[in-house]
Amino acid sequence: MAMNDMSIVVRSLRARLFSTCVTVLSVGVAVALMLNLLAMRDASRRAFERGTGNMDMVVTAGGQSPLAGVLEAVYYARAPQKYLTWAAYRDRFATGDRRIEWALPVQQGDSYRGMPTMAVGPGFFSTFEPVVGEPFRFARGGPPAGTFDVVLGAIAARATGADVGDSVAITHGTGPDGHSHDEHPYKVAAVLEPTGTAHDRAVFITLDSTWIIHADDSRADAARKTGAPEIEPTAENLTDEERKITGVYLRCRDGRVVGQVFAELRQDPGFTAALVQSEIRNLWGIVGSIDRIVVAIAAAVLVSSGIGILLALYNSMEQRRRQIAVLRVLGASQPRIFSLVLSESAVIGLLGAGAGVVLGFVGVQAVSAVLLEDYGLVVRPDPAVFARWALIVTGATMVLACLAGIIPAARAYATAVSRNLRPLA
Amino acid sequence: MPLSEPTDTPALSVRGLRFRYPGAALDLLNIPEFQLAPAEQALLTGGSGVGKSTLLQIIAGLIEPTGGTVAVAGRDIHAMQPGARDTFRGRRIGMIFQTFHLLAGFSALENVMLALMFSDLPRREHRDRARALLAALGLGEREMSAEPDALSVGQQQRVAVARALACRPALVLADEPTASLDPANTGAAMDLIQRACRDERAALLCVSHDPAMAARFSRVVPLHANPAAAGAGA
Repeated sequence: MAMNDMSIVVRSLRARLFSTCVTVLSVGVAVALMLNLLAMRDASRRAFERGTGNMDMVVTAGGQSPLAGVLEAVYYARAPQKYLTWAAYRDRFATGDRRIEWALPVQQGDSYRGMPTMAVGPGFFSTFEPVVGEPFRFARGGPPAGTFDVVLGAIAARATGADVGDSVAITHGTGPDGHSHDEHPYKVAAVLEPTGTAHDRAVFITLDSTWIIHADDSRADAARKTGAPEIEPTAENLTDEERKITGVYLRCRDGRVVGQVFAELRQDPGFTAALVQSEIRNLWGIVGSIDRIVVAIAAAVLVSSGIGILLALYNSMEQRRRQIAVLRVLGASQPRIFSLVLSESAVIGLLGAGAGVVLGFVGVQAVSAVLLEDYGLVVRPDPAVFARWALIVTGATMVLACLAGIIPAARAYATAVSRNLRPLA
Repeated sequence: MPLSEPTDTPALSVRGLRFRYPGAALDLLNIPEFQLAPAEQALLTGGSGVGKSTLLQIIAGLIEPTGGTVAVAGRDIHAMQPGARDTFRGRRIGMIFQTFHLLAGFSALENVMLALMFSDLPRREHRDRARALLAALGLGEREMSAEPDALSVGQQQRVAVARALACRPALVLADEPTASLDPANTGAAMDLIQRACRDERAALLCVSHDPAMAARFSRVVPLHANPAAAGAGA
């Protein structure tokens, strides 16, 4: 095969293999970083939006931020700090308001081996859909039948190693030092299939059970103080004060009344109502600013890798003056020498972008796996979206590489032929 | 310098050539007229600093003269646009250097094929042409695929000669081609260069400061240090 410009470019890059590899790697890392951020950004947003389920709003105790309420009640971000009384729930949501399709009381705050509990009432699994159109499905077992039955989310089951039939004890609070309610053991009734939402991390228990456990503690304390005999708590003798909840998942019958119900709840200082989708959009509005800064930093890293190309090529020009002079003697014009160096820069950019796309793809898979494993979030970029970003970032990298090649190419262009053809010393 | 009487378009025709470095008081070169017939071979002699290499580079179109014309194969090389001049040089002028200037990272065969990149020879013929030239100059397959630093000085010179002749030039300019060789090898190297140029029907203008070289050429052109006094002559 005849020699061509690309042969010269490839030999030139091969002659400086270490420098070429380091430069390509630096471009690759920058491209991978950029791709990861861009691809994961959209995927993360979709994952959060997916996890809001089929509720319209979540209602928590008054006096807190709606966003905090959503993050606590839907994404298990931390144990809720405030409670709603059962009376407040009953008086507001169990009144037969025809606008409300369902209002599911939930209580959070305890844990099992680091996995957060979610105490729910009857019908929760058949009513609430963690993803719209995708109800909970039982991988093993079935809905809780007894008060102390527990249902494990897919990640919770995997993380704790518990399975149907096992006995488990809930820990008070979510920290590692919480008191273990060994006196009230639960039995695993079911394990759920993965939903790709934060609910996969949850340990679902019944509201009655958590009320009984905590009433047992408080009644024992009271008995110790007063000397009166403790009345064993049961589902039937629980008081409203003992029936605490931390939130209400609420769905309206008609989308048109959501705003009306929301406005009414906002007027009530005892509640904090949050439109879940809206709060998540607000969250992304806040995160978006940081997100833009992070993307800008990634872009700066990409530009610095372009400067790396410039330096690598510029420094090589000193060693290649004679080669350039010889090529000129053989018939290469100055523009052709310019284009050779520019091509070299573009090839480095292309190789770096290629390496970056591969690294980025691997990185996205790794991050997705970690998010699924640790947070139950399905953050998997759409292949078409990843491919689109890969093309855009590759194009940008090529442009950057070509820009970086201009100064070395200009230096090569201006190489004095006669001076560089003098005999070697 | 005396004129040879060309029967065809001269391989090289220099008229009224002057060259002066910027800021210098006198011309370094002042050559009223000089011609080289097709396939003719001439030796340009003179001490260091008289402008022998500069003259070759002016002829090759690498340096602009202060005045005058240089025509290679009938084409005024300095009247051409830079790009056209580079193309013309690649196709019609071959150059051989004292230290050969073979490119590292390319095999001997590829060094010759690099020159063919800029020729008008069809690309599919490049490899065969380079291989045939190197074989004619005595290089085997193993040497052809070796890089320059793996070759002996003599082998490197053969590669340099093959590269200079690859595009079937009208004119070969050899700048002190034997200066780095010992006397025993000088004769062999010059035999090689002169024979190869004859075989390829290329004119040869060889520059050397070695007086012993004069015996190898029927035409010797001395270039003197004092350009005003020297004028031209051979």
